[in-house]
Amino acid sequence: MKLQILVDGAPVEVDADLLNDVVEVEPGVYSILYGGRSYEARVTRSPDGLNVDTGGRRVSAEVVDPRERNRGAKRALGGGRQNITSPMPGKVIRLLVSEGDAVEAGQGLVVVEAMKMQNEMKAARPGKVAEIRVRDGDTVGAGDTLVVLT
Amino acid sequence: MFGKVLVANRGEIAVRIIRALRELGIRSVAVYSDADRNALHVRLADEAAHIGPASSSESYLRIDRILEAATRHRAEAIHPGYGFLSENADFAAAVEATGIVFVGPSASSIRRLGSKTAARILAKQMNVPVVPGNEEPATHLDHARALAQELGYPVLLKAAAGGGGKGMRRVDREADLEGAIRDATSEAERAFRSGEVYIEKVIERPRHIEMQIVADNYGNFVHLGERECSLQRRHQKVVEECPSPLVAMNPELRDAMGEAALRIARAAQYRNLGTAEFLVDQDKNFYFLEVNTRLQVEHPVTELVTGLDLVHLQLKIAWGEAIPFAQEDVTWRGAAIECRVCAEDPERDFFPSPGKILQLSEPAGPGIRLDSGIYPGWTIPLEYDPLLAKLVAWAPDRHGAIERISRALDEYAISGVATNLGFFREIMQERRFRQGDLDTGFIADFFRHWRIPECVPDLGVIAALAAASFSKNHQPETKNGQSETSRWLSQGRSEQLR
Repeated sequence: MKLQILVDGAPVEVDADLLNDVVEVEPGVYSILYGGRSYEARVTRSPDGLNVDTGGRRVSAEVVDPRERNRGAKRALGGGRQNITSPMPGKVIRLLVSEGDAVEAGQGLVVVEAMKMQNEMKAARPGKVAEIRVRDGDTVGAGDTLVVLT
Repeated sequence: MFGKVLVANRGEIAVRIIRALRELGIRSVAVYSDADRNALHVRLADEAAHIGPASSSESYLRIDRILEAATRHRAEAIHPGYGFLSENADFAAAVEATGIVFVGPSASSIRRLGSKTAARILAKQMNVPVVPGNEEPATHLDHARALAQELGYPVLLKAAAGGGGKGMRRVDREADLEGAIRDATSEAERAFRSGEVYIEKVIERPRHIEMQIVADNYGNFVHLGERECSLQRRHQKVVEECPSPLVAMNPELRDAMGEAALRIARAAQYRNLGTAEFLVDQDKNFYFLEVNTRLQVEHPVTELVTGLDLVHLQLKIAWGEAIPFAQEDVTWRGAAIECRVCAEDPERDFFPSPGKILQLSEPAGPGIRLDSGIYPGWTIPLEYDPLLAKLVAWAPDRHGAIERISRALDEYAISGVATNLGFFREIMQERRFRQGDLDTGFIADFFRHWRIPECVPDLGVIAALAAASFSKNHQPETKNGQSETSRWLSQGRSEQLR
């Protein structure tokens, strides 16, 4: 059986048998033997799915339900909802887009200020601004959705 | 020796000091705000006192509450750590007035060295070179213009009471001078409640090298060599090392800068630990900047190379012991490098990233020292500095120290919050860093050509396998609110029943 996982939005197919060489050694920490090599990966939940840290890199991951394969493939092409969330509590100081705008990957959407630092929240993939959930001057919490892209 | 000492700080440095107290058989008193009840320093201390709400201005900066805690717990001395009240002369004076020993210099030494302009004047009197400029407040625009003209642009405006780059402005041409003075003054006013700024010549691409000094109550003054702290981001040190690669090639610099630092310390009737900071230009001329009248964040690199324990030394001097060695006894062996591990996200311009530490694997093994203030399950408070830990490696030479700290960085894993660990892994592989070709513009240069690193081979498959296993083992939401831990507990119980 093949499993499909979206890694940073791109579909990766792996053979389910490979899971036999994956051991959870600590909660959320996986020792993986693959191709004779030993890897370690750490998985934590994020508001949008899972984060995986391995080899000094962090990627997002989402396991695609086999019944929703088509949806998964579509999302990988840039479709699907994308929630832009605030990484920490702060204040919205500038909105850079309006509802209905088409945005490119990496385009700035909202500027949030916290601990006297300004942080521009960017689109991870191209899409369209479906919804803006905050206004200038709003106080936001960690993980709050600021903008929804489709 | 003291029977009990209060540590007026938090985080990794409070842990570091509590460890030293334990080693010397002294009871420790931690202080904590509302945000730090669960902090590691409170867990490790023998006693702990609550000193107020989360905001540091209502807790760790409250002289009255700290003194009250020290009195209530009958502490005989207070160690201020770094930051917070450590360089506050009023605090040192208030501690001494209560009959408690301040582990640091006298209030009057702190005052004499606390203002950058006063320290500059003292350095000049002692024939220690300072960056060209003068100490006059740049309030009269005509005077400021004339001075800048004489020094030659670019010039640097600096806050007399300053630190951490606040109230600092580089001015490249005369047309910008007036506006820059206005901006720097108002920024300094806000940050330090003193808007006084002065003008210095800009030293292009300097190295930042500092000298560790130590003095006792009996007129003994010794320097413990240098630390190179040229890797800075927004005037904050990021990586420090001993010896400085430049000094290693030019050992006469260590003697000259050490002697200069001690001349200033003697003139200020200094005692306990202190650090004189210098800029060194491309032609190896050094210029005195300022004295930090406290233990430095980066003190471990000096400890690993000299074999001394600086916190033990501080406590012994405060107790009234003489420095137990002479200048000629101090030796420097091997090389040490330190990385300041912070909860901040390099991919988001080092934005602070507080949150809960979900998993933690700490490096160990030969030559590794980790001064850390965190543990798995602990939530990093929003209110304080994002420094989590200092990873330090020692090896017989600099190349070995780089390889060793790289190995330790690979072992180190913190999940739940973003950290700068990956950034350090890249810095340690940089050709310029490995050659020891450092200056304070290094990090800015590094980021000018920085890209999110290429994926490691097999990253996609490995991440996919980990995510698939996680989804199989961990239900998305536990329906009855059972936590992961209680799930294993029940698993464990059911296994025992078999």
